[in-house]
Amino acid sequence: MNKLKKENSFSISEHLKKYAVTYMFIAMSVFFIVVSGLDMNYVASQLLLRLNRNAFIVLALIIPIIAGMGINFAITIGAMAAQIGLLLTINWKVTGVPGILLAAAITLPLASFFGFIIGKLLNKMKGQETIGSMILGYFANGAYQLLFLFIFGNIIPLNDNVTIVGATGVQNTLNLTGDVGLYMAVDGIWHLSFEITLYIILALIAVYMLVRYFIKKGSTIKLACGILALAVVGGVFQIPVINDVFTGRYSGGREINIPVITWAVVGILCLFNAFIMKTRLGQKFRAVGQNRVVANAAGIDVNRTRIIAIMISTVLAGWGQIMFMQSDGIGTFQTYAAHEQVGLYAGAAILVGGASIDRATNFQALIGTFLFHSLFITAQSAASNLFGDSAVGEYFRAFLSYGVIAVALVIYAWRGAQQSKRGGLNLEAIRGEKAMKKL
Amino acid sequence: MSRKQKKPGMKKRIFCAVVFALSAALILTSVLGFTLRTTKGTLGNLNEMRINAVLHAASDGLVESIAADAKGAKLKELRKLPNFRQMGMNEVEGQCQEAEDAARAEAESKYSGIMDGDTTKVIEKIAPLNSALEAYAAKEEAEQKVYAEISVKLYESVADWTDFAGENDDQVLSEKIISIVPEVKEAEHLLAGIIKDVRNIASEEKENDDEQMLNQLMAAVKGALINYEELRALDDDQLWGEMVNNVPELAEQEALKDTLITETRTYVENGANGVAEETEEAVEEISVEREVNYEYFVASSELDALDDQAKAAYNELFDELCVLIPDLSGLDKKMKNSIQATIENVVYSENLNFSERYGIYTDQKADSILQGSSKTTMWLAAYATQILIAGIALLLFALVNIFWRQLTKRFGVPRTIITLFFIYLCLAAELYNIYVPLMLSNVLVRVGMYGVLALAMLPGIQCGIGLNMGMTLGCIAGLLSTVIALQYDMTGFTALFFSCILGALIAIPLGWAYSLLLNRMKGNEMTISTYVGFSFVSLMCIGWMLIPFTNPKIIWLLSGRGLRVTHSLLGSFAHILDEFLAFEIFGIEIPTGLLLFFLACCLIMWLFSRSKVGIAMTAAGSNPRFAEASGINVNRMRTLGTVLSTIIAAVGIVIYSQAFGYAQLYTAPRQMGFIAASIILIGGATVSRAKVSHVIVGVFLFEGVLALGQQIANAAVAGGGLSEVMRIMISNGIILYALTQSGGGSRE
Repeated sequence: MNKLKKENSFSISEHLKKYAVTYMFIAMSVFFIVVSGLDMNYVASQLLLRLNRNAFIVLALIIPIIAGMGINFAITIGAMAAQIGLLLTINWKVTGVPGILLAAAITLPLASFFGFIIGKLLNKMKGQETIGSMILGYFANGAYQLLFLFIFGNIIPLNDNVTIVGATGVQNTLNLTGDVGLYMAVDGIWHLSFEITLYIILALIAVYMLVRYFIKKGSTIKLACGILALAVVGGVFQIPVINDVFTGRYSGGREINIPVITWAVVGILCLFNAFIMKTRLGQKFRAVGQNRVVANAAGIDVNRTRIIAIMISTVLAGWGQIMFMQSDGIGTFQTYAAHEQVGLYAGAAILVGGASIDRATNFQALIGTFLFHSLFITAQSAASNLFGDSAVGEYFRAFLSYGVIAVALVIYAWRGAQQSKRGGLNLEAIRGEKAMKKL
Repeated sequence: MSRKQKKPGMKKRIFCAVVFALSAALILTSVLGFTLRTTKGTLGNLNEMRINAVLHAASDGLVESIAADAKGAKLKELRKLPNFRQMGMNEVEGQCQEAEDAARAEAESKYSGIMDGDTTKVIEKIAPLNSALEAYAAKEEAEQKVYAEISVKLYESVADWTDFAGENDDQVLSEKIISIVPEVKEAEHLLAGIIKDVRNIASEEKENDDEQMLNQLMAAVKGALINYEELRALDDDQLWGEMVNNVPELAEQEALKDTLITETRTYVENGANGVAEETEEAVEEISVEREVNYEYFVASSELDALDDQAKAAYNELFDELCVLIPDLSGLDKKMKNSIQATIENVVYSENLNFSERYGIYTDQKADSILQGSSKTTMWLAAYATQILIAGIALLLFALVNIFWRQLTKRFGVPRTIITLFFIYLCLAAELYNIYVPLMLSNVLVRVGMYGVLALAMLPGIQCGIGLNMGMTLGCIAGLLSTVIALQYDMTGFTALFFSCILGALIAIPLGWAYSLLLNRMKGNEMTISTYVGFSFVSLMCIGWMLIPFTNPKIIWLLSGRGLRVTHSLLGSFAHILDEFLAFEIFGIEIPTGLLLFFLACCLIMWLFSRSKVGIAMTAAGSNPRFAEASGINVNRMRTLGTVLSTIIAAVGIVIYSQAFGYAQLYTAPRQMGFIAASIILIGGATVSRAKVSHVIVGVFLFEGVLALGQQIANAAVAGGGLSEVMRIMISNGIILYALTQSGGGSRE
């Protein structure tokens, strides 16, 4: 008993250490929401909006992390590929869902190709992938500007609706609304109110439980508890204070709507991430991520596996950028700047969620996006309330993004250094062998 | 294996031999061309071309005028037709074009014979016009120089233009100007123009201030308003009310109301767009000096007299032309003026070099008089420079082709490419007629400007922490001390040395704390230092807002607190090192003080790396285990290197600001680490090994390429932006290359 307790307490402290960043940010989020004095209904609607907008890109970071390549800041290059796709789609005047599919189709080969090159380069800087991918992103930004300023519209002819008439290059901002018809092309297909969505999900879970009960003959108590829990959740949602946050029914706020298809796409990506880890390729990612030497000894082509990981990530990031661009409330994008912060925000989000340089899950990505954007929404008001100067808020958000990454990296490196002092290197080798056995 | 290598080797040799032969031929041809330039035949041809060009200019003007008239007449005629409205745009255009072409052809055939007429009288008049124009140009240049000197001196001695902006009385203003620039008294006629210039500058400065204020207001508005969807629905008055409600300072800014509302509306429209939330500003490209505005230059009476003489000489020439081509006198004034400009341009060309003259005359179709061999010789003589450059380029190409392996082995791929690129740019500079001495002065200033900053990378690499991207900490220390110097209105060398020393003092504890962090995360330094640097810059953005500075010159006037983004150092210590002992040689301005300071810093670093401590530090960096075994405290050496790097960065940014003329706060220092890193890497350093010489070579190469490339890019492609793209790609490309050399490889 005593021993168990000891182990238990040890694991709690380990857990706290492991997720220090996440807990810190949960505390900060709560604090900020309170200090900002913003309407909860507003915060909730913004949060869900941003979650659905950004989740896809953040999820694109998972595979390279598992493959031991750190945070792939080069997803900005995927975003650039997506912007090329969007530009051509606008240029050819393809609208609606076909337009989005066309943009995605153009992104696929482009982003795969870029991903291949990124992978090749990152293989030459093992151990420095995080900074390497970041600088690759900067470098690619130069190439991107060259392409959009001097090659598009000159060497590659484009229509007048996307170029600057009387000068070189593509317009500074590209519009997706109106005739272009890409705005909310996916988001707008099917909306459901948050309330209905919640009850549908609860109902689905209940049905699943029942089906499992009848097929597998599980314990009746478990089933009863499960159904009861669902009923409690459904009931709690009807408490006016909570209900009002999502429906605005009592205070005259806004009703939160859920773009079902977008969420379904994000859900499919989550399933994809989970599924691929169960395949042989996924096991290879894991093995390479845990120990390259052992993986190589086991006959895995380490470099090839890493390139595949980056290619998948880059393509997903590209599609994520398309999903971002079409989403509710965007409408236009800055041709020359829209991709710049993609890597920064996504990287910060996944780190906030408790991912580290070598571990990441779907759940961490989603919770991280949620927390990071809850700070992002409230930071301005909170900072201006705290410091009495509204301009501070703007800078505070920038500090937040960089600071999150710096703190997460420091904590990770710190732990790594401590582990290696305690002989953690062996630990890594053991982990690697375990992964081998799974293969 | 060896046979396989031999075959392409043979091919390569043949290829190179062909290229060599080609380049030799080209160079010889160009030599021939240059000698041809001095022969009597070509010079005679050139003079003939000049006369012909004058005649062509006159007759072409006439032809154009006739053609334009015909087109206008046709259009009028068409308008009168009943079915004009039914005619398409293209049809009307086409018919007019037809009429125009017909008239032109007719006129051309009519006046083509005139070239064969008696032109002796015209020729006689060309020489007097040329000398009159020459006299005028010489005098004008001298007077404009005086004007420019006064203007520049005035601009540089005045730090605060607000007094000038509000002054309406010319008398008071002129007294003020004379008190600053007594030289004006000797050129009294310039005063009126100078006053206008001053008013212009003052209003520009005020606009700048207004713009900065607007930016700050907008930042405040953006901070306060976030529920975009609701704001979109409001009308202007409601929106303004909402804005004033959230940012009370706005109530005093009625004048800016409209602009603010428009800006806010765009922000709200795009606002929900997560992308627009933080747009980064790139490091501003440098425009070291303000250009003199000649719009307000006033000519003296002597200059006017010379102008009259030139006009008289031209009129005589024109009269002779009218005798030759009687229709010329019937032209309207606009056409006459245009002809006058062309003719004067053609006549006043004796000072230009051969190819420029040839170009001007050819523009007037004067090459039609050249026939047979004289055409070829003239062409050779005119394009000798271009041929020479092509020859040299081919020669280089062949040499590089042969020695590629040795070169890349010795210098690395990027340095070879960049050096070649630099040589190519130097050749291209000649082609694009870029004034080389000015360009070289520009490069020298930039070398001094970035040199010390790049030097900050050196101790970082030597002590083993690699590229110290966290040198931005030092930059912020330097900027902080600069702002403190401005707060207390310090000027001159006191301000400069105060900033350097205080910056270094602030940098010590910062660098020390930072090194403690780095010592705990060996192996990850570059990633961590980059993000620590970034977050510190962002944190200091808040710091700049909140530190209680009080000098009205450096804080936002509006809210009474928070530092401005850009601080002009004019009137404090701008360019003070640049101008110390500065002299001019071959038209190149040497910023002696700046270069001496940079070289002195290099010397100190070199001596340090030779000292016992320096050697210990390098040892700790290059082989920590061995160093530890030989009794060196590796962590202490790393701390020393980091602190040194931070201190040099602090001094470096002060030097940078004095050469730039402005201290830039907030997000401006963020990219400094990257620039410094690319400089030292281009110089030949790796992430684990660096010498002082790498800094010196790197800063010359990098800044040379940038300064030259910027000018050539601007000359070659309109609209700019290309030089910025080039900077991004070179700077990040070289860091990428260094990273690929350092890590990974195929160890597994």
